[in-house]
Amino acid sequence: MDFGQATVVEDLSFEVRAGETFGFLGSNGSGKTTTIRALLGIYQPTSGNLHIKGRPFRPEEGGRLGYLPEERGLYKKEKVIDTMTYFGRLKGLSRDQARTWSMGYLERVALADKASSRLDKLSGGQQQKVQLGVTIMNSPELLILDEPTKGFDPVNRHLLMDIIEEQRLQGATVVMVTHQMEEVERLCDRVILLKNGRAEAYGTIDAVQNQYWGRSVRLTYTGTIPASNLYEPIRVGHNDAELSLADDQDEADVLRQLVQAGVRVRSFTTAKTSLEDIFLQVYGDQNEHPGTGSRQASSHRAGEPTTLQPAGA
Amino acid sequence: MARHNLSTVVSFEFFRTITKSRFWIGTLSVPVVMGIVIALIYLSNSSTSAATDARGDAQFSISYTDASGFITPEQAAAFGAEPAPAQEQAIAAVRNESLDAYFVFPVNPVTQPIRVYGVDEGIFENGKYSAVAQAMLDTAVQARIEDPAVVALTQAEPVVEVITYADGAEAEAGGINAIIPPMFYIVIFYALIVLLAGQMLASTLEEKENRVTEMILTTLNPTTLISGKVISLFLLGALQIILFSAPMIIGYLFFRQQIHIPDVDLSTLIFDPQTITVGFLLMVGGFSLFTTTLVALGTIMPTAKEARNFMGIMIALLFVPAYAVPLIVSNPQALIVQLFTYFPYSAPVTAMLRNGFGSLDLLEAGIVISILFIGSAIMLRLAVKLFQYGSISYTSRISLTKALSPKRRPAPAHT
Repeated sequence: MDFGQATVVEDLSFEVRAGETFGFLGSNGSGKTTTIRALLGIYQPTSGNLHIKGRPFRPEEGGRLGYLPEERGLYKKEKVIDTMTYFGRLKGLSRDQARTWSMGYLERVALADKASSRLDKLSGGQQQKVQLGVTIMNSPELLILDEPTKGFDPVNRHLLMDIIEEQRLQGATVVMVTHQMEEVERLCDRVILLKNGRAEAYGTIDAVQNQYWGRSVRLTYTGTIPASNLYEPIRVGHNDAELSLADDQDEADVLRQLVQAGVRVRSFTTAKTSLEDIFLQVYGDQNEHPGTGSRQASSHRAGEPTTLQPAGA
Repeated sequence: MARHNLSTVVSFEFFRTITKSRFWIGTLSVPVVMGIVIALIYLSNSSTSAATDARGDAQFSISYTDASGFITPEQAAAFGAEPAPAQEQAIAAVRNESLDAYFVFPVNPVTQPIRVYGVDEGIFENGKYSAVAQAMLDTAVQARIEDPAVVALTQAEPVVEVITYADGAEAEAGGINAIIPPMFYIVIFYALIVLLAGQMLASTLEEKENRVTEMILTTLNPTTLISGKVISLFLLGALQIILFSAPMIIGYLFFRQQIHIPDVDLSTLIFDPQTITVGFLLMVGGFSLFTTTLVALGTIMPTAKEARNFMGIMIALLFVPAYAVPLIVSNPQALIVQLFTYFPYSAPVTAMLRNGFGSLDLLEAGIVISILFIGSAIMLRLAVKLFQYGSISYTSRISLTKALSPKRRPAPAHT
C-alpha cells in the first residue's frame, strides 16, 4: 500500500478465524487504519484484498460486515431512529425490523428517550453508542472495530465490551484495532502487531508473549537490582520491577540471587509478560529523541545509578 | 439487494429533505409571493368591479366635463354622472368631499389622458374612478357605431390562423403559439437548476462533513449511493415544479375572471411532437449533466463554503447563452452559437432556444442530446470514483489527478 513514494503497508498477510476475536495492534502511524481501509476497499491497495469465507469482500454485501471506523460520524441533522432505520434497511432489514431492532438497542444503551432527537443534540459518547448500534445491526458475521472505546467513560466502556462479547458469543468474528492492551488481553484470542507497515508479531497472545520475554517476575523491592544472566529487565521502577526469564530459568534461582545481592524483596510473583510491556518493547523507540533516554530510565531516582538498562532502550 | 438499496437511498434522501423546514421555506417562498400578488390583484379588481357595478348608487357622485364631445348627458346619467358647471368648482367640491369624483375627458382621449379627481378611499377603492371613467368613454364610443357587428369587433380579439407552405407542401407556422410549449422547458430548467444547485452540491458534501463516508462505503456500492442521490434530486425538482405551478394553475382555472387573466385558448398552442420530445430530452439531459457535475464537485470539496465558489461558475455557465439570444434567434449558424450549442454546459439552454425557434434540426438535436446524456454518464462515473476514493479525505480538497490516476490513492487522513 503506497501513498506517493511512501510505502505505508508492505507484504502484510494475516488470517482471522471464524468466531475469534482478533487484535490488530500497532502504534500511532503504524498503518492499522490504512490496512483496514485498504481491506475494505475504501483505499485502493497496490495489491491484495479481503476475503470473507473465501470470497472477495464487496461493499454491497455490507450486511455481512459491521465496521466501526476510527473517524466517527453519522447524519447529524437527522433523528437517531431515522438514521438507524436507514442503515438497517441498507443492511437488509425491513423498515419495521430496523425500527424495532433500533428501539431495542436504544433501550439497552439507555438512549430510548433520544430516539426522536437529532444526532447533533446528543453528547459525543451517546453518538458513539448510536454508531455502535448501527455497526452491529443485522448480526454481522465480521465485526471490525477501530478504536471502539475511544471517547467512552469506564462505565460505557464496560457496556461496549459486553456488547462486543455478546456479538462474539452469537458467532461474529471480531477484529479490534486498539491501543488498550488490557482489552486485548481480556477479549482477544489472537493478535497481530504492526510496525512500519509490516507484521512484527502474529499469533495467539501466549505465542506473542513467548516470542518476546515469555515468563517474567514482578517484584517490589528496595535496593539496587544487579545485572545478571538469569534475567533480563523489562521495566525497572523506583521500587518495583519486571524481569524477563529465559524459558528454562528457575524463578527460585532469581530470587535467591537478588537476596544474595542485598536486594530487600517485599513481593515476588511470576507472570506472563504483559502485552503492554511488549507494546512498549516493540514501539518504545519510536518516540525517543536523542538524549532524552527511555521511559524506564527516566523513572529512576535522580542521582541513583542505573544498574540495568531495559531491553530495547 | 442493489435495487433495494437504491430505493432506500432515494427514499431517505427525498424524505429527509422534504421534512426540513428549510426546503419548504425556500420552495414555498416563490409560490407564496406569487399568491400574494394574485391576491392583491384579485382584491383590487374585485373592489373596482364592485364599485363599477354600484355606480348607480347615490354613494358615488360624479361630475364631468367632456371636451371630446363623445359623451352625451344621457349616457353620463346612466353612470350617475352630471356635467360640471366649472372645472375649479368641481375640483373644490371633490376637495371638500361634497362630490366623490370629477372626470375631465380631453379633446383627444387617444393621445391625451383622462384626468380623474376623486376623494381618496384607499389603494383598492380608488381603482373604481378610472374604471368608471373608462366605461363611460367606451359606452359613448360604442353608441356612435351603428353596426352591431363592428361594436362586437371592438370588444373581441379575432383569432388568426396562419397557413404557410414550404417546398410546395403545407407547413406548420404557428408563430408564438408554436414557440411557447418548447420554451416552457427553459423556464423549468432554469428554475430547477437555480433552486436545486445548492442541494446538489451538498448531497455528497454531507457524507464528508459528517464523517459518514466510511460507514456508507462499507455498507453499499457508491454507484448505488450517488445514483440514489441523483434520482432523489430529480424527484425534488418535480415536486418543486408542481409547487411553483400550483398557484398559476389554480389562478387560471378558478380565478381567471377575478384577476383578469387573459382567456388563453390552449387549443391554439401548437404541440409539435418532435419539438416537444426534443425539448423534453434536452431539459432532462441538461438537468442530468448539471446534477451529476455538481454532485461530483461536492465530493472533492471539503466544505460547503468552498463548494459555493464553484457553484457560482456553474450557474454563470447556465446564463451565458442568454446574452446571445438575439444571435441564436437570427443567425443560428454563427460560430459562437455553434460553440454554445455543442459545449456541454451551454448546450441545454442554447439548444432549447433553437429548438423553440425551429432552427435545430433533428441531426443537431440528436448530437446535442447525446452529448448531454453521455456527459451525464461520464460525470456520474466521475462522481462515484471521486466519492469512493476521494471523500475519505475529510479535511482537504481532493486533487483530481490523484483521485483519477491509475493508482487512485488519496493521501491518508489517518493511519
